[in-house]
Amino acid sequence: MTTTLIPLSSRPPMKRRGRGTWGLRLAPYLFLFPNMLIFGMFTIWPAINGFNMSTYASSNGRTFKPVGMDNYTTILSDAQFWAVARNTVIYAIAFVLISTVLGIALAVLIEKQKRFKVFFRSVFFIPVLISPVVVGLVWGWMLERQNGIVNIGLSWFGIGEVPWLVDNGWSMVSVIGVGVWMQVGFYMLILLAGLQAIDPTLYEAARMDGASPWTQFHSITLPLLQPSVVVVVVLATIHGFQSFDFIYTLTGGGPVGATTLIVQYIYENGFQSPIRYGIASAGGVLLFVVVFLITIVNWLISRKQEAV
Amino acid sequence: MARLRTRLLSLVAGLGSVALLATACAPGQTTGDAPKPGESVDPASFAGQTLNYVYFTDGPDEKGTRDLIGQFEQKYDVKVNLEILAFSDLVKSVQARLTGGNAPDVVRLSSLSEFRDDLLPLDPYTGADFKNEFLPGPLSAVTNDQGEMIAVPSDLTMNAPFINVDLFNKAGVPLPDENKPWTWDEMMAAAKQVKDATGVPYAFAMDKSGHRLSTILSEYGTTLVGPAGNTLDTAAAEAALGPIVQMMKDDQMPRDFWLGSGTKYKGANEIFLAGDTPIYLSGNWQVGQFSQNAQFNWAAAPNPCAKECGGFPGGKFMAAFKESKNPALAAEFVKFMNSAESQTTFVTAAGSLPTRVDLNESGVKYADAKTQAAMDVFAAELGRTPQADFATNGHPAFSGSATELVNQVSAVVAGNTDLHSAMAALSTKIDGLVAETKH
Repeated sequence: MTTTLIPLSSRPPMKRRGRGTWGLRLAPYLFLFPNMLIFGMFTIWPAINGFNMSTYASSNGRTFKPVGMDNYTTILSDAQFWAVARNTVIYAIAFVLISTVLGIALAVLIEKQKRFKVFFRSVFFIPVLISPVVVGLVWGWMLERQNGIVNIGLSWFGIGEVPWLVDNGWSMVSVIGVGVWMQVGFYMLILLAGLQAIDPTLYEAARMDGASPWTQFHSITLPLLQPSVVVVVVLATIHGFQSFDFIYTLTGGGPVGATTLIVQYIYENGFQSPIRYGIASAGGVLLFVVVFLITIVNWLISRKQEAV
Repeated sequence: MARLRTRLLSLVAGLGSVALLATACAPGQTTGDAPKPGESVDPASFAGQTLNYVYFTDGPDEKGTRDLIGQFEQKYDVKVNLEILAFSDLVKSVQARLTGGNAPDVVRLSSLSEFRDDLLPLDPYTGADFKNEFLPGPLSAVTNDQGEMIAVPSDLTMNAPFINVDLFNKAGVPLPDENKPWTWDEMMAAAKQVKDATGVPYAFAMDKSGHRLSTILSEYGTTLVGPAGNTLDTAAAEAALGPIVQMMKDDQMPRDFWLGSGTKYKGANEIFLAGDTPIYLSGNWQVGQFSQNAQFNWAAAPNPCAKECGGFPGGKFMAAFKESKNPALAAEFVKFMNSAESQTTFVTAAGSLPTRVDLNESGVKYADAKTQAAMDVFAAELGRTPQADFATNGHPAFSGSATELVNQVSAVVAGNTDLHSAMAALSTKIDGLVAETKH
C-alpha cells in the first residue's frame, strides 16, 4: 500500500477562524467567570479595599478620616508591633524548617513502606482535617502544667513540671510544635506525590553502581524532589506568617504577648475595643508585602536552580 | 489572537481603573440624620409593623425576654424579630449591618463605646421624665454630652466575692459580717488561714478581667478613666495591686490561670466550683450557676474595704439606632421592656439587679431563698459603691484601658517588669486611649 503525499500548495485552504470558533475561544473564560466573579468579590475587592482603608482612620467602619501614611508610621513606631514581628519571624522560620524536614522524612519513610502505606498516610494527615480551634483547645489541656497528660507522661521519666504554656520560651516551643503537628501531614502528602513521580529505574541504576541509601537520597531523591520542596516551603511560609486560630485558643498569644503573632495583632486592632480598622488594614498590607516578597524570592531561587 | 489579547488587556485595565477610582473615595458614608423632634409616638399607629431586635443572651434571661416580647406584640399588634447573636460576634455583626445600611431597630449591648454616635436619643419619644425612673449611676453611663438618654440601662451587675462556707466552717474561720465588711488585709488573712487549715490549692481566685481588677482599684480610691480623662492614681494602683501580684507569685492565687490565656478574659468560676479556693472575686451573674452546680454551701460576701467600700458596676443596655426604619416604635419597645413590670420579669429571670429607682426601693423577689440571699448582698453593695465608678464603666476608653491593665499586671506576674513601671506604662497607655476616643 502506498501513500500519496499531497503537496502543501495543493491542499484545500484551512478554514479561517470565523464566528463559529469565537464560541470555542470564549468558552474557557465563560467557565472561569463564575469562579473569578466570586474570587474578585470576596478576595480581590476586599484586598484592594484593605489597601485603601489602611490610609484612613475609623473605629466603626462607617465614618473614615483620611490619615495618609499615619497608620504605617504608627505601627512601625509601636514597640508591640516589633515584638510581634520578632515572634512571627521566629515562629515562621522554625515552622518552615521543621515542617519541611519532617515532611520529607515522613514522605520517604512512608514511600519505603511495603505494607500499611495508606494507614500511615492517613494517620499523619488526620490533624490537617481537625479544626484549628479544636487543636488549640485539646493541646491546651494536654500541655497544662499540673494536670496535662504530657507532663504526667514526663513525670514517669523523672522530669519535673514543664511550664509549656506559661513560660515565654516554652510557650513558643509549644506553639511551634503544635503548628508543625497540625500541618506536616499536608506537606508530607505533597512530597509523597513528588517522590512517586521519580523514575524508579534511577534507583535501580544507582544500586547497580553500588550507591549507598544515603547517596541515593542525596544524589537522586533530593534534587528530583526539589520542585515539591519549593511548593512546600512557599506554602509553609504563608501558613507560618498567617498562623493565628490555634494559637489564639492555645495560649491567647500569651504569656504576656510571647506567642502573639502578626495576625493576632491585626485581629485585636480590627475587632477588639478600641477598634482601629485603619491600623488593622495597614498591618494586613505589611503582612501581604512580606509574604509576597518571600514568595518571589523563593520562586526566583527555584528558577535559578532549575536553570542550573 | 493579538486583537483578543489587546481587548482582554483593555478590559482588565478598564476594570482596574474603575477599582482604583472607587477605592480613591472614602470607604464609608456619614450616618443618617437625627430624628425630627416630636415624631409620632402614637401606639395605635404601630399596628402591623415589624421591629428587629438584635440580642445576646447570658442564658437564663432569654425566656424572660421572649415572654416580654410576646406581651409587646400582643399589646401593640406588631411583630418583633428577635435575632440572638453570640456575644463575641455582636459588635462586629452590628457594625457590619450598620455599614450595609441594614441597621437593626433595637440592640442589647454590654458597652455603648462602639456605637455611641449611632444611637437614637430617646428623650423626644419617651419624654424627658423617663430618665428619672433610673438610678443616677447607671443613668450617667447612657447620657450623651447633650444630656440626652441614648440607651436604657436594662440590668445591672455588681462585682463582689463569693465564699465557700463549708471551707470556712471546716477551718473554724468566722464568716464576714454582711453589715461590717472585711478590710482587704482581713480578707487576705482569712483566706490564707482557710487555705492552710483545709489544704485547698489556693487562698483566693478572681476572673482574669480588667473589670474585676477595677473593683480593687476602686476600693483603693482610684479608677482608670473618668469624665476628666485619665484618672489613674498610680500610687494607689500600686497599693491595690501589690498584694494580688504577690499572691500569684506565692501561688496563693492561680498564677498559670492568669498567664495562660494571653489578653483574653477568663472566668475562675470552675476553680471555685471545684472547691479549690475559699474566696472568689466575681459578680452576681455567677449566682444562677452556683445555685445549680455548687456541691457545697456558698454565699456572696460584701466587698472588702480599703479607702472605699463597695464593688464595681457593670450591666447591659438596650438602645435604638438612629438608622432604625421606625424610631418611634423602637423607642416605645425600649420603654416597654424597661417598665417596672417588665424589668422585674427580666431581672428575676436573668439573676441581675434592677436599674429602676422604684424597684431598688421596693426590692425584687428572686426564684429561691439562696438566690435571694446572694442578690440581697449584691444589691447592698450598690449603695456602698462610689458613684464615680458608673462613669468609669461607661467611659469609651474604659474597655481598652481595662485590657491594658490586665496586660500590665500579667507582665508583672511573669516577672517582665515591676509594678511601679507597669503602672507608669499603664497611665501612658490610658492617656493615648483617652485621646483616641476624642478624635
